Amino acid sequence: MKFKKLFNRIESIKLESVTKSYGDRFAVRDLDLEVRGGELMILIGRSGSGKTTTLRMINRLIEPDSGRVSINGANVEDFDPVRLRRSIGYVIQNIGLLPHLNVSGNIGLILKLEGWDQAKIRERVSELLNFVSLPPKSFMDRYPHQLSGGQQQRIGLARALAMDPPLLLMDEPFGALDPLLRTQLQDEFCKIKKELGKTIVFVTHDINEAFKLGDRVAIMDNASLVQVGTPEELIFEPSNELVSEIVDSKRKYRHMEALKVRDMMQSLDSGYFLEGNMPAEIALRKMVDAGLEVAFVFKESGTVGKIPLNEVLKAGNTGKSLNDISKSLLVFPADASLFEALTQLKEEGESMALVLGGEMPVGLLFSDRVLQGLV
Amino acid sequence: MVISAEILQATLEHFFLAYTALLAGIIVAVPLVLLSLYSERLASLVMKFSNLVQAVPSFAVVAVVVPLIGIGFTPAVIAIMLRVLLPIVKNTYIGLFNVDPALIDSAKGIGLTEFQIIRNVRLPNAYPAIFAGVKFAAILANSIAVLTALIGGGGLGSMIFEGLTNFNTAKILAGTLPVIAIALFLDFSFSVLEHRLTPEYLKNET
Ligand SMILES: Nc1ncnc2c1ncn2[C@@H]1O[C@H](COP(=O)(O)OP(=O)(O)OP(=O)(O)O)[C@@H](O)[C@H]1O
Ligand SMILES: [Mg+2]
Repeated sequence: MKFKKLFNRIESIKLESVTKSYGDRFAVRDLDLEVRGGELMILIGRSGSGKTTTLRMINRLIEPDSGRVSINGANVEDFDPVRLRRSIGYVIQNIGLLPHLNVSGNIGLILKLEGWDQAKIRERVSELLNFVSLPPKSFMDRYPHQLSGGQQQRIGLARALAMDPPLLLMDEPFGALDPLLRTQLQDEFCKIKKELGKTIVFVTHDINEAFKLGDRVAIMDNASLVQVGTPEELIFEPSNELVSEIVDSKRKYRHMEALKVRDMMQSLDSGYFLEGNMPAEIALRKMVDAGLEVAFVFKESGTVGKIPLNEVLKAGNTGKSLNDISKSLLVFPADASLFEALTQLKEEGESMALVLGGEMPVGLLFSDRVLQGLV
Repeated sequence: MVISAEILQATLEHFFLAYTALLAGIIVAVPLVLLSLYSERLASLVMKFSNLVQAVPSFAVVAVVVPLIGIGFTPAVIAIMLRVLLPIVKNTYIGLFNVDPALIDSAKGIGLTEFQIIRNVRLPNAYPAIFAGVKFAAILANSIAVLTALIGGGGLGSMIFEGLTNFNTAKILAGTLPVIAIALFLDFSFSVLEHRLTPEYLKNET
């Protein structure tokens, strides 16, 4: 392969006082934004607020008038634009599949230009098609006009992933799809997002999509950045009227104060509990078989301990028991205020807590699922 | 027998003349338009020039070549070529420039160079239009190649003019019938080719 990726992982992407104007109108004005490696950053805002312009300055489809865009500390201006773009996946709303090429021609185009041989391209294309849930056998040889909108969008994603770039830029990728299909693709994307482990900058104007997919959300208005934060931060601490309007916090979260922890918890079945003296090796097998990411133990002190799967993995066959590796866990009574519980979770930097009904554990509270449940 | 050998000879000459010119037209027009992608000034110059030549009657184009480069086969080729330039230029231009901007944008976004965009996006998009231009130019070349007999291009045109001056009906027919046959043949074969070359995605539409 004649081409080496400019970066294999993203530490950070920084936009520093970036400005771009057309005539005497600012498209983006004095914008500062940092995207951390591995996160999915949403850009959201009204039409014309500068989202696309911001996104396209990252892969140099647009050059800023002033300010600096850097990836892993290196100014993007120092990279050759073509090499830069081949190191970054790019997906747009209109998809832009070439009508005269079939699916494998479209996905494999860059690979071909990179000098990969036919057999290797076919193999990679199959792999990518499987990844986006399209059986390669029936899709490889189809032309774009023989595909539905959702299928074309999947091909668009597969094409963007062809070179396995560590960074993906997506501009309203699901914007043109009907609501049902959009929801379905969002759900799928949510799943593959974890598998991908990539840094993603994602433009949308749908706040539900933003909260569903985004680790953090940047709200833009009138060429400027208004607020960046996790969905919780935007909902509970909107910096101004516009933000609360966009996240619709007044209407949707008005009842928040009245809600109790039990209203939003996931019920807990006894399968989550393991014996405290069980060796980690055996626990590992049990958890993997049951598909558990986390399990719990009753401690002698009468409290409950948390056993995350990765801790069990780490313990391996060191002979440690679950009691040895259990972590303490926030506990809330079922009738505690949901709002206060979430605030405390955030302060402690935790994403889950155990819910007690009287003395007995009855449920789990996951902060991200609460938000999704509310949206 | 004498006549048929003469007809065959004239037909071959005619064919050779018309299609040398057509080929020259393609060789000049397509690269010119491709270069126009890089320069707006060249683009407007090329379009203006070929529009101008189009506005001048064929007969005048053929005549004006004489004082410039004289008579004979080469001037005849040049006259025909000038005349067929426009349909090829215009259609190539339309094909290359009328590409969905989203296609160009996404091609650029995934890391194609300017040249690769022309090669992989613009040209394939332009083939049907270029082909239509060439088809029209081929039929045009066939008819102008008759006129160029006046400036020493030879071929079927010479036969027709000879027949006209002598009121020799047989000779007139011997000249015109092959020209008509060639026109029909061209129209037919280009249609077949067109159907074959049209990409799948354009066939099902309209
Ligand atoms: N090439 C251009 N020439 C002139 N003005 C432009 C150009 N590109 C963008 N703009 C203007 O810059 C502003 C920001 O555009 P941008 O495309 O970034 O908005 P956006 O937030 O992506 O909007 P949308 O949600 O409609 O896609 C708009 O006012 C737009 O009209
Ligand atoms: Mg946009």
